[in-house]
Amino acid sequence: MATDSDRLLVQQIRQSDARAWEHLISRYEGRLFAFVHRRIKDLAACEDIVQESFVGFFTSLPNYDDRRELQTYLFTIASHKITDFLRRTGRHPLQNASEGPNDLLHLKLDDQPGASSAARSAERKTLESDAVGRALGQLLDDWRGQGDYERIKVMELLLVKGWANKDVAKFLRISEQQVANIRFAAVKKIGEHVRATGLSPDVFPELAT
Amino acid sequence: MSLIPRETLAAYLDDALGDLETAQVEQALRQNETLRKQLHGLLQERDRGEHSVGAIWRRQRLSCPSREQLGSFLLGVLESEAQDYIEFHLRTIGCAFCQANLADLQAQNQEATPHVRERRKRVFDSSAGLLKAKK
Repeated sequence: MATDSDRLLVQQIRQSDARAWEHLISRYEGRLFAFVHRRIKDLAACEDIVQESFVGFFTSLPNYDDRRELQTYLFTIASHKITDFLRRTGRHPLQNASEGPNDLLHLKLDDQPGASSAARSAERKTLESDAVGRALGQLLDDWRGQGDYERIKVMELLLVKGWANKDVAKFLRISEQQVANIRFAAVKKIGEHVRATGLSPDVFPELAT
Repeated sequence: MSLIPRETLAAYLDDALGDLETAQVEQALRQNETLRKQLHGLLQERDRGEHSVGAIWRRQRLSCPSREQLGSFLLGVLESEAQDYIEFHLRTIGCAFCQANLADLQAQNQEATPHVRERRKRVFDSSAGLLKAKK
């Protein structure tokens, strides 16, 4: 969720306040530049991409929902601009993977819902995301509150990195049984939360117990 | 562990990997057709509206420290467990968004140079016209 300060900035920019725009650039330009530079080492190109990202943000302002975190929104725009740049300069690894409108890069870039997307509505996907996000967020808050960072590490490696139990155990120097127990308890809680919102956790194979 | 876990490929699609891991994935994609097919499969799944818990975690940045916490991490003033966790999140998880924030904070600490101010001014000058056009 956008901070109050960001929300106010956006509101002022919508009223064409040049100082607010300058403030927004000053607040976010550095981190966007670092984000772009991670992928593109040419400094002039980075600068152009950051510039295009701000212009892209301005253009998309009528559609920006300020309940969304501004920083994440800007990173998403920058990410698209990076892919555009890599594609234009023929440096994307998927550039020659296949040709035509169905090539991998095209699919990634344009984020167009295909005909099959009617199978599950965007609305349902949002509901699922919200439910899982709330459940996970609550778990993470609880663990942080208890100073139990090991559980966070276990679940982050399992779910965000997709590591197997044995790899997580080896990396964190705990037993596989401990990893399995942490996973089981977390998955159970998330599943319960998702079910309580009237949705099925079966949509997510990771939540199978 | 397989060469590139499926969830890492998904993170690649979300542009959520750090520079090192992104380079590794891209190199593997260039060399390995099976991996490219796997990526294609992932894209088709997304097209069908399928998603993963990991993707939701990344998109909502559920475990990302705040910018203030990253600042405290840089100063080394957090409790050791929290300090250790942020190190893990940055290095092992390789969160691209937090790495960018950290790099920016480091740059702010080191410089606030005329070069950076000039760069920001150029961004402003090139885009401020949009505000006037809107009026």
